[in-house]
This record gives sequence, C-alpha cells and structure tokens, in this order.
Amino acid sequence: MTPPGPFRPSFWRSPLRGPWLTALLGSVLLVLVTIVAVTGFLSHAAYQPDLAGNAIVDPGRDLPLSFTWPAGWSYLYAVTQGLHVNVGLVAIPFLLAKLWSVIPRLFAWPPAASPAQALERLSIGLLVASSVFQFVTGVMNIQYWYAFRFNFVVAHYYGAIVFVASLALHIVVKMPVIVRAYRERGAARSDLVALSPADPTISRRGLFAVVGAGSLALLLANVGETVGGPFRRLSLLAPRRQVIGPGPNDFQVNKTARAAGISADMTGPRYRLALRSGGRELSLAREELLAMEQHTATLPIACVEGWTTTQEWTGVRLADLARAAGAGAPDGALVRSLQQHGPLRIVTLNGPQARHPDALLALKVNGADLSPDHGYPARIIVPGLPGVHNTKWVGSIEFA
Amino acid sequence: MRARYGASPLHLIAHLVALPLVAWALLQFIDRPDALRILVWLALSAVVHDLVLLPFYSTLDRAGQRAAPGPAINYVRVPALISGLLLLVFLPAIANKGEPSFHRVSGLTYDGYFARWLLITAVLFAVSGGLYLLRGRTT
Repeated sequence: MTPPGPFRPSFWRSPLRGPWLTALLGSVLLVLVTIVAVTGFLSHAAYQPDLAGNAIVDPGRDLPLSFTWPAGWSYLYAVTQGLHVNVGLVAIPFLLAKLWSVIPRLFAWPPAASPAQALERLSIGLLVASSVFQFVTGVMNIQYWYAFRFNFVVAHYYGAIVFVASLALHIVVKMPVIVRAYRERGAARSDLVALSPADPTISRRGLFAVVGAGSLALLLANVGETVGGPFRRLSLLAPRRQVIGPGPNDFQVNKTARAAGISADMTGPRYRLALRSGGRELSLAREELLAMEQHTATLPIACVEGWTTTQEWTGVRLADLARAAGAGAPDGALVRSLQQHGPLRIVTLNGPQARHPDALLALKVNGADLSPDHGYPARIIVPGLPGVHNTKWVGSIEFA
Repeated sequence: MRARYGASPLHLIAHLVALPLVAWALLQFIDRPDALRILVWLALSAVVHDLVLLPFYSTLDRAGQRAAPGPAINYVRVPALISGLLLLVFLPAIANKGEPSFHRVSGLTYDGYFARWLLITAVLFAVSGGLYLLRGRTT
C-alpha cells in the first residue's frame, strides 16, 4: 500500500510540472554546468600539477589531464576562472528549479519497480549529492567559510569527477525522454504532471523569467570582483569588492605577510635572492636586482576564487635572471618563497612561463616598491598564471 | 533482458561505465584523514535540498498563497525569492561566517554585507510594490 503524504501522486499539485519544463530547465543547466566543469578542470591543469611542488591532489591518484598551460594571453586564467565562479553562481537558480521540477520522483512508490530503476535511482542520488556538494563547497570556499574542515581542493576535485560521471550517465539514460518531451511539448504524458493541478499563479514562461532574474541577481552581486575597475564596488555582495585606497599598493591581497609568517627581519638588509642553475649559485641583494635592466608590464593577478586585479609591475625578466645565473633560455623555474609554512610556497613554472618576455621578478608595482603584503622584496608575476602561483617574498629561483 | 532488467542493455552498459568511475573517484580519497567528513557532507548534500530547503520554501509559499490568493502573490514571491537566493549564496559574508579566515588572509572584513543585503531586499520589494501599483491591481 502506498504511504500517505508526498508518496501519493495527488499530493503534488503544481500545474507547471511536466517533462517539457524539466527538459528545458535541464538543457539550460547542462550548458551552464558544462562551462563550469570545463573551466574547473582547466583550472586544475593551469596549476600544472605534473611539475614539482604544484600538486595539491596526489599526482599518483590523478587523471592524466595536464598539459603545458600557455603564457601567451595574460588574461587566460582570469577568464577561465572568472567563468568558473560566475557561471557557477548563475547555474544555482537553474539547479534549484530543476530539482523542484522533479521532486515528486523522490517519493515514487514503490521505490523501485525493476533492477533498472533501482540502479537509476542510485545514480540520480549520486548526481543530486555531487551537484549540491560542488555548489555548496564552491560557494563556501569563495567566502572563506571552511566549516566543512576537509581539504577543499581534493574534495571539490573528486566531487567534480563524481558529478561529471553521474551527469553524463543521466543524459544518456534520459535522452529518449528529453527528445519526446521536446517533440510533444505540453501533450506529453508523465508522472511529473499533476493529477489534480491547482489553479496556476504563474506561467511556465513566468517561472523561467523568475529563475533568470535570480541568476542575474547572483551574477551582478559578484561579477564586479572579476571584471574589476569601476564595477568592483558595484557588486554589493562580492567577497573582494573593497577598493582599499588610492595608493600604488592598495589592491586586493590574497595572503597578508602576517598570515604567511613573513617578518621584517627576513625581508630587511639581510635579504638575498639565490639564483641556481646546474651546480652554480648566485646571490643578489635587492639593490643589485634594481641595478639590472628593468621591464614594466601590465598584468592581472587572477585568483582561483574568481576575483582579479590588474596592476602595472616593474622588475627583472625571469629570462634575464636565468642568463645571469648561467642558464640559457630556461625550460622551467622552481620558485621558493621565504614563507616557512603553508601550501604552495614552492611552485614550478613551465618553460613558456619562465621564458615569456613579460614574466617578471617584480620589485615595484605602479611605480612604488612592493608593500610587505604584496611580496616585498620581490615577487613573481607571469601572464596567464593562477594567482597563487605568482609567488611572493621570493627567496630562491632554480632554473632548469 | 528488457523484461527482467526493466530497460534496454544500453541502460545497463551506461551505468557500468559511469558507476566504476564514481567508485574510482571515491576510492582516491578514502584513506585520507578527512575522508569521513567528505563522505558525510556528500550524504548530507543528497538530502539537504529535497528534505530541508524545498519543504521550507514550499511551506512559506503555501502560507503566502493562503494570505494572498491568485497571481498577485507574485509581487511578494519574486522579490522574496531573489532576496532569499542572495542570502542563501552569500550567507557566509552576510552572516560573518567566514570572517576569521577571510580577515587573516586578506586583511579585510565582512562589515556592511548584512546591511547591503537588507538594502537590496528593501529595493527589490519597493520595485515590486511599484509594479503592483502600476498594473497589479487590475489583474
């Protein structure tokens, strides 16, 4: 016997539910989450996890998806990661609407009429769990709320694999239903259509307008931290919306010197940059770096959390430092920070990144010395690189 | 096959491609010290929308419909929905949840986020109220 309440088909009364609405919401959602998933895996590749010090997910337990991340276009990571975060936010209302549109199925009775249906319900469970998990952890991470107390990168990465696998399966399994829903539109018969519908208070078109308005609101509330400039302040709820001040160093800090454990003693007159190549080592004071040929480039720092800040950097080309250290055109560079603890204080740049004419060991920003929070005495800035790989408080560089 | 299994062989094959991949992904972190927390959050993610969020907003919506029957409810429903979405997504900033770690790394605070969300909410309802005055009372 069917249990009472939501297990009875008559419980569900919205006149809007039906296969056509679900198919349409699902199609929009598919386009959005495809952008989010592709840019997410691109971000994983952009960290170049195959090079020393870069991997956060154990390389022995990773998919073989990495490739040489190019340095040719300085806004590459700003665009891919800006899309990841902002399109992710846009997708949330569509995900909620999609889940709403199929909620009667959760209470289908009997729970499974055949082995096929049991298997399908298991895979739907994985899809719902992984999609909600990905959005919840992503949204918490961009706002630094680590209440989950697990490694975000590892969980979000394997969560993404579960999500993509169960989503692909869902599309294959549902394709005949989707095709029929589009062909028959309102005439399609389905258990999603209410048996005794209530009077409508909104049309299906109205529902789409409301969901789209929700997406637009989330986008506008955040996107200013990605595009920057005058738009930054206009995004009223973006975590990185603050315009800090008019000074040359008044822009967003990913990690303060204090949080990184950098003291004035480490960066004072005692500071020397160590350059290594082959067996040779060269030690340079900051004054000696300033005496080398200086180059200026306008480059963004693009954070994995989706915010970007573009500044004018001045310093020594990494290629010139490689030559000074006795290396030719470098095939890569292993950069160590003075930072003693914390992740990613050792980072390896690939060949195109180390050789790029705008790839700098920056000493100044917007004409002034770097502030302690922005990496004084010297920091890396490379076109198209994930923000956190632009190592601050550089202690040594080893050229390959 | 179809009679016993309940679907075409392709249905079974598709599951036998995807489910091992899912199992592989889960096994990659299972020996980590934080694995149990990840699995618990995954399990909660499976139910938190369907058994908490959706019943919560449906109940609110039913109450609203009883108070204002007919399409006029949309003049309350739409601004409430957008305001609620903003609250749901930006809750850590609005409720100061991530502030200790946010302040430690960025030097910034979440001051003003709650106030701005309140102002956004007021503006949304003001616009909706204006539209109701213009055209809502006739429908």
